[in-house]
Amino acid sequence: MSAPASTQKTTPGGNAVLDLVKQPIVVALILIAVLLALGEALSPGFASLQQILRLAIVAALLGIVAAGQNLVILGGREGIDLSVGGVVSLSAILAGNIMSGQDGGILPAVLACVAVGALFGLFNGLGVTLLRIPPLVMTLGMLGVLQGLLVVIRQGIPSGRAAPALSQFVSQPFLFGLPGIIWLWIAIGLFMAFLLKRTVFGHRIYAVGSNEQAAFMAGVPVRTIRVALFMLSGMFAAVAGICLLGYSGSSFANVGETYMLPSIIAVVLGGTPLAGGRGGYTGTMAGAMLLVVLQSILTTINIDESGRQMIFGATLLVLMLFYGRGKAMRG
Amino acid sequence: MTSLSASPQRSGFAAAIERLPFLPAVLILVVLIALNGWFEPNSLGFRAVTGLVSTYLALMMLAIAQTYVVMAGDIDLSVGAILSLVNVVVIVLMEQWGGGGLTVLVACVVGILTGLACGLVNGLVVAALRLQAIVATFATSIFFTGLALYVLPVAGTPAPAAFWRTYGGRILEIPFVFWAVAVLALLLVALVRTRLTTLLLAVGDDAQGAFQSGLPVVAIRIKGYVLCGLFAALAALCVTGDTASGDPLVGGKMTLYSVAAVVLGGSALSGGKGTVVGSLVGALIIGLINSLVFFVGTPSEWQNLVQGLAILIALMAGVFVGRRVGQ
Amino acid sequence: MTELLIRGARKAYGATLALRRGDFDLKGGEVHVLIGSNGSGKSTLCKIVAGSVKPDAGEVILNGQPVTIAGPQASRALGIGIFYQELSLSARRTVAENILLPDLPMKGGLFVDRAALASRAARYIAEFEGVSGAGFAADTPVFKLRADQRQLVEIMKTLATEAPILIFDEPTSALDRAQVERFFEILKRLKGEGRAIVFISHRMDEIFAIGDRVTVIRDGETVATSNIAETDVPSVIRQMVGEHDEVVAAPPAAPAVSGDTGIALSVEGLGGSGFADVSFSVARGEILGFGGLHGQGQSAVLRAIFGAASHASGSIAVRGEPFAAANPRQAIARGVAYVSGDRGRDGIVQGRPILENVTPVHFLRNRLRIVRPGELQKKAAGPLDALKTKFQTIDHPINSLSGGNQQKVVIARWLIDRPDVLLLDDPTKGIDLQAKADLFALIRQLAGEGLGIVLYSSEDAELLANADRILVFNSGSVTRELSGEDRTRYNLYHAAYEAA
Repeated sequence: MSAPASTQKTTPGGNAVLDLVKQPIVVALILIAVLLALGEALSPGFASLQQILRLAIVAALLGIVAAGQNLVILGGREGIDLSVGGVVSLSAILAGNIMSGQDGGILPAVLACVAVGALFGLFNGLGVTLLRIPPLVMTLGMLGVLQGLLVVIRQGIPSGRAAPALSQFVSQPFLFGLPGIIWLWIAIGLFMAFLLKRTVFGHRIYAVGSNEQAAFMAGVPVRTIRVALFMLSGMFAAVAGICLLGYSGSSFANVGETYMLPSIIAVVLGGTPLAGGRGGYTGTMAGAMLLVVLQSILTTINIDESGRQMIFGATLLVLMLFYGRGKAMRG
Repeated sequence: MTSLSASPQRSGFAAAIERLPFLPAVLILVVLIALNGWFEPNSLGFRAVTGLVSTYLALMMLAIAQTYVVMAGDIDLSVGAILSLVNVVVIVLMEQWGGGGLTVLVACVVGILTGLACGLVNGLVVAALRLQAIVATFATSIFFTGLALYVLPVAGTPAPAAFWRTYGGRILEIPFVFWAVAVLALLLVALVRTRLTTLLLAVGDDAQGAFQSGLPVVAIRIKGYVLCGLFAALAALCVTGDTASGDPLVGGKMTLYSVAAVVLGGSALSGGKGTVVGSLVGALIIGLINSLVFFVGTPSEWQNLVQGLAILIALMAGVFVGRRVGQ
Repeated sequence: MTELLIRGARKAYGATLALRRGDFDLKGGEVHVLIGSNGSGKSTLCKIVAGSVKPDAGEVILNGQPVTIAGPQASRALGIGIFYQELSLSARRTVAENILLPDLPMKGGLFVDRAALASRAARYIAEFEGVSGAGFAADTPVFKLRADQRQLVEIMKTLATEAPILIFDEPTSALDRAQVERFFEILKRLKGEGRAIVFISHRMDEIFAIGDRVTVIRDGETVATSNIAETDVPSVIRQMVGEHDEVVAAPPAAPAVSGDTGIALSVEGLGGSGFADVSFSVARGEILGFGGLHGQGQSAVLRAIFGAASHASGSIAVRGEPFAAANPRQAIARGVAYVSGDRGRDGIVQGRPILENVTPVHFLRNRLRIVRPGELQKKAAGPLDALKTKFQTIDHPINSLSGGNQQKVVIARWLIDRPDVLLLDDPTKGIDLQAKADLFALIRQLAGEGLGIVLYSSEDAELLANADRILVFNSGSVTRELSGEDRTRYNLYHAAYEAA
C-alpha cells in the first residue's frame, strides 16, 4: 500500500486526557502507583520510602542495561542486543578482579570494563552492518562467546570483591538521602534525553529506525550510527555490571543473564516498539520500575514461586495488549 | 543496493545450494565428523554415536520445533519452557499412575497434548492478538515455567524404569534412539510434503502478499506454533529419556540453542527460507562442536569459550554464504 | 450475467484521502478500463473489491445483492480474482506453486498433490508459451525471474482463480509487445466466455485496443464512464486532467538562457542499470524536463546522479567540476538535491515531527552536532512558508499532514541551504492540485535564483506546463528533445509512444 500508514492521530483538544492516558509512560506510571498502593494494602510498609528506594536501586540496575537495549531497538532493522547479559556478567567479574576490594581500583576498573563493553559492541555492530548478520543472530552468537569467556576468567583468578566505596555508592545514601546509583540513573536519564532530543546523532537514530532508506537518501551515515548504537549498548551493560558488583559485594557466575530479556521487556513496556524509530528512554525507565515493582509485589503476596511466575507472565501479556500490538493486514 | 537479477549461468554448487539451502551445513557437519574421527577415532564408533544421538536428539527436535515458526517469519522463545513443562507433566503423571507400560504411554500422550496446547496459546497470542513474537513468547515462557514449577516444584523425581530403559535400550539389537531417528525422518519427509509447509514458507516470504492472495495468514501462523509445540513436546520426551528425571527448568538454556541450530541449518529468521533437515543438521553441528572441543584436548576452562567462538563463526559464515549464493 | 456495482466507495489513510468517491459498474462479457493518473485512487478502488482494503464508506452490489467483502478470502469466494500492481508473489516459491498458491491441489487431506499441481499450473503456463522468455519454467523460483516474467506469473495466478470477475491492476507495465498481444488474446477469449474484466493501464493504445468501456478517475473520484467506441484519446485525457487543461494549452516561453549564467549540471554518456548513453546539460535558471512513459530510465538516471544507484560509464559535472557520488551523502555535500516521488519509501521519516523531517540535510551540510530547536524552527519556517505548507505546529508528526503537505516538508528539507542542482523524480505523485500549483510556483522561483533543475514527471501536462525543455526517454535512452514551439502534447505523446 503506497499510502503512508498513519500511526498517530491528532485529535481535537477534547480528548487530551484520553490521549495522555494512552501514552505508554503514563500507563506505566499509573500502574506503578496502583501496584504500590496494592502492595501497601497487602503488606503495610511495602510503599514506605525506604522500600521504594530499595526497589529503585534494583530498577536502576535493569534500567541502565535497558538504556543500551533501548538505543539498539530504536535504531530499527530488527535491532536487538541479546549479548547485554553476557557483558553485564563479564563486567561484574572483571571489575571485581581489578578492584579486588580496593577503592583505588575503581577508576581503572570502570575504564577497563567500559572499554571491554564498547569492544564487544563494536564486534556486534560490525557483524550487523558489514556482514549484514541479523542482530538477533549476531548478538546471540556473541552471548555464547561471552559466556565462554566468563568461565575462563573465573577459573584463572579468584573471585574479586567490590571496593567499599562502590558498595557504598550503590546501596547507601549518597546525596540528599538518595544512593549514588539513583543519581547515576537520573544522570543517565538526562543524558539519554539530551542525546535523543538535542543532538544530531539522536535525531539520526530516529530517522534510521523509522525509515532507513529515507535516512540514507537524506545523507544520514546509516552504518556508522548503527555501529555506535551497539557500542553504546555494550558500554551501558558494562556500567550496569560494575553497579551490580557494588550491589552484591562480590561477583558470581552469570549474574547478568537475568537482565537479557527483561531489558527488552522494559523497553517495550516503556513504549518503544521492537520495530524501532519510536519511543524514548523516559518510558523505558518507567518500564524498568514497573517490572521491578511487579516482581516485588508478587514476592510479597503469599503464594509460591509457580503462582508468581504464572501471574507475572500473564500480566506481561496483558500489558503488551495495551501498546505492543502490530498492524492488521487489512488496510 | 545491488541488483537482484539472477544470472542464468551459475556454478553447479551455487545452484545446488539454492535448491538445498542446508548444503553448507551438511558440509560443515561432514568436516566436523572427520575432525572428530581424526582426533578421537573412537568417537565414530557405534557406542559413541549412539551416545551423541541420545544426548542431542532433544536439541534436534527442539530445532525442528523452532523451524516451523521461523519459516513463517516468527520466533518462539518459549520452546525451552514448553520442553520443561512437558518433561515435568510426563514425569509426575508416570509416577502417580505407577509407571506401568500403558500408563507411561498415556502420560506421553498427555505430554504431547500439553505441548500442542502451549503452541496454540503462543499462536493465538502472536498471530491472532498481533503481539511481537519475541516479547510475547518470552512472556508465555515465564507463564509455562510457572506451570512447570506448579507441577513439580523441585527437580529430582525419577522416571520409571520402563521409560528410560526403553529410551536407552535396544529393539531388535538396534538402539531405541535410532528407531526414534528413523521415525522422525519419516515424519519429516511427510511434513515437507504437506500443504502447511508450503503455506508457512509463503507467509514468511511475503505475509502481505499471502494475505492479499486470500490465504488465511493468521490460521497458518497459529498452525506453525502448534507444530512447534508438538516438536517441543517430543523433545521433552527425549530429555526425559536421557536424564530419567523431572526438572522444571531443564529446557531454559536450550531455547537459544534451538534458534542457533535453525540459523546454522540455513534458515532465514526473516522467514520464507527454511528446512527442517537443515535445523536437524544445525543441532548436530552444535553437538559435534562441543565434542570436538573436548577431543582436541582444550583445557576444561577454555572449552566454553572455544565452543562459543566456533558457533559464532559458524553462524556468521552460514548467514554470509547463504546470502551470497541464495537470494 | 455477472454484474458488479460499486457506489460511493471511500477510503482515507489518516489525513490522506486515497479515494473520495468511487462509483463503478461492471458487466459480464466486457473489458472495462479504469484510467487515471498515479495516486488517483484506482488501486484503492480495486483493493476494496478484492477485500484487501477496508473501505470507510460505500457499498458493493453483486448481481443485485449488496455484499460485504470482509477480506481477500471472502472476495475470492464471491468469484473475484485480482492482479495486484505490486504483485502478491512468494519470491522463493516456484512458478507453479505461486500460480496455485491460494488453492493448492491436495491429496490425502494433508499433502500437496505435486502431479496435479504441475498439470494444473501447466495449463496457465501454456497460455504464454513462446513469449514467456528464457528461464521461465514451472519449477523456477520466482526470485530468479525478470520483472516481466514475474508479472506473467501474477497474471497466471489471476487466471487460475477461474473467477467470473477478474481485475487487472496494471498487468502490462513491464511486458513486451508480444506478451501484451498474447495477454489481449486471452482477455478477448475470457470476455467471450462472459467474464467481467477490469483493466488498468497507462498506455492509451492498449486501452483503445482492448477496452469496451472506460471509466476515468481523478483525485479519488470517478468522473465519467463512456463507451470506447464513442470516445477518443483527447477526450479521455481531458477528463483525466480536468482543470489542468487550461494550463497545458500554453507552455511557458522558454527563458532566455544567456551565456553568462553557466551550466549547473552536465552529464556525458551516462550508462548503468536501466539506462544507457544519456547525455544532457542543464543551465542555471533552467528547468529541464524528463518525459516519456513511466519507467523508461528517467528515475534511474536521477538516482545515479544523486549517488543512490551506481553508474557503469559516463561522467557528471556540477557547475563544471567533475563529480561522482558514491552515496547520497557525497552528492548532498556537493550541493545536489533529490526529491523522490515515492515519499513513503525515500522521503518521510514516519511518526517523527515535521521539524525533524526538515532538518537532516541542514545538519549534514553544516556539520552540526547539537540541535538548537529554536534556531532550527526559524530556519525551517522559511522554506515551509515559501511552499505554503499547512500544519498545526512544527512538532506535530509528519503523518498528521495530507500527502501534498508531507511532500512539501520533504522538499523544504533541501531548501534551508540552497543547493546548486535540484533533481525532482516525479515529485507530485499522489498529491492534490493546490499542492502541485504551490510547488511549481516555487520551483520556477528557485530556477530564477540560479538553480539548475531537472524535473521528471509521469504527468505529461505537468511537464508541458513547467519544463523549458523536455527530453523524452524510451527504453533507457533519450530519443527526442523537445524545446520551444515543439513542446506540444502531440509531440510528447508521439515521442513517448512511438517505440513502445
